[in-house]
Amino acid sequence: MELLDRYLNAIKFWLPRRQQDDIVAELSEDIRSEIDEKEAMLGRKLDDAEIATILKQHGRPLLVANRYLPQQHLIGPALFPVYRFVLAVVVLCSLVPGLLVRISLMIFDPSYRSTHAVWVDLARGGQSFWGATLFAIGAVTAVFAVLERVEARTRFLENWDPRKLPPVRDPNRIPRFNSIVELGANLIFLVWWVSGTWSQTIFNRAGVRIVLTPVWRGFFWAFFVIALGNIVLAAANLLYRQWTWPRALLRLALDGAGAAAFCWLLKASLLAEISAPQLSWAQAAEVTNAINNYMGRMFPFALSACLIIVVLSDVPRLLRLGAGRGRLIQGVAIIIVLAQIVIGGSQASLAGAAMVDKNSATTFGLEVPGRRT
Amino acid sequence: MAHSTPPETSEVFENLRLELRRGCLILAVLAALRTEQYGYTLRKVLAEHGMEIDEGTLYPLLRRLENQGLLRSQWREEDKRNKRFYRLSGEGKQILKQLLAEWQGIDSSLAEILKEPSHGTS
Repeated sequence: MELLDRYLNAIKFWLPRRQQDDIVAELSEDIRSEIDEKEAMLGRKLDDAEIATILKQHGRPLLVANRYLPQQHLIGPALFPVYRFVLAVVVLCSLVPGLLVRISLMIFDPSYRSTHAVWVDLARGGQSFWGATLFAIGAVTAVFAVLERVEARTRFLENWDPRKLPPVRDPNRIPRFNSIVELGANLIFLVWWVSGTWSQTIFNRAGVRIVLTPVWRGFFWAFFVIALGNIVLAAANLLYRQWTWPRALLRLALDGAGAAAFCWLLKASLLAEISAPQLSWAQAAEVTNAINNYMGRMFPFALSACLIIVVLSDVPRLLRLGAGRGRLIQGVAIIIVLAQIVIGGSQASLAGAAMVDKNSATTFGLEVPGRRT
Repeated sequence: MAHSTPPETSEVFENLRLELRRGCLILAVLAALRTEQYGYTLRKVLAEHGMEIDEGTLYPLLRRLENQGLLRSQWREEDKRNKRFYRLSGEGKQILKQLLAEWQGIDSSLAEILKEPSHGTS
């Protein structure tokens, strides 16, 4: 009966101390009765293999012991759906930006690509975003475990009022307030843009002068057109307060174009010259290069942020309107074309900008960053 | 033509069957314990009457019913071995009576529902 004793001992380990002996004695009696009956039937003692078969039928010790324990859970069925939802949001928010930034760096930053291997980088990123994600999962779980205990004691989930439930909102209805704010903000932006940003010399006061490269004109027109588009769309939304798929598609196109223009702006080495009374030419050139460099480095982060915003705000709307795959493809195509127009317009003058950069650099005796061959 | 039940259907049936049996098992255990029994013989009695129950379900259930005051138990020596004998308590008898009435009510309600022609079908 050594096997039986080992089995009972394994069960005993998991049982509450006060009930251990009582439960094990009863289980022992049950199994011994079964063994006795089989032995009486066969007219001989059971061997170890036969006893093992009986014990196996009774189940794994942990599972047998578990049936005697009170039902326990870290997060109960009432809070679990909320926990799962919050966890999904937190994991998405902590994983997706990090992944997108790394992917963008891999695609758009040759120097990063040359020094990092994709999978090694993603795996090694564990110290940063994988670690952050695990921490977030742990934190959310801990908070919900505490909430579960509080709920068990206070029953706060039962204390609710149907009158406080949020009103049913038509997701395709455009709030008037949103359209007014969008219209106002874009009008103010456009006035400021036209009156203050046309010149390449964007700042010239108290001896401090900031000059942009000719490529700026391309961005000027790009943002001008996008702001005009936003004004037209906001006005239309104010009059017709229900989203339709053409307007949702236009929203996607404008947001996509705005995002593309902004991201490209970061990469375009816009600053041609900075001068200040207490700044030598060499120092000014160094500052100019540093700012251009820094803006260029921000490109993958900006691209990730813009992608997230556009995908989260515009694509669900189109899907909700039942635009279908065909129209979504049309939308994406429009974005690509618009982005190409925006980028193309900028690129046309990039050569000029590069010349300006190079001339400045030659003048200052510096190497132009990001223009190495 | 031979009909075979799809695996997911048989799984659904099995889950529903277990759910249906769960309540009935308590009734069966209480009914069987009108006569004093120890765990192993109780299991055998139930199995002989088509209510098979594994010891992992039976013993925790006996413990719960005892904690609720429906059963009384006593350790006694029989055939040179210590066994724990259970029997229905006074309160258990009352509850069994009420549960049986409830059971008969459910049974007759179900019989009535099954007798009526189904609604809304052509």
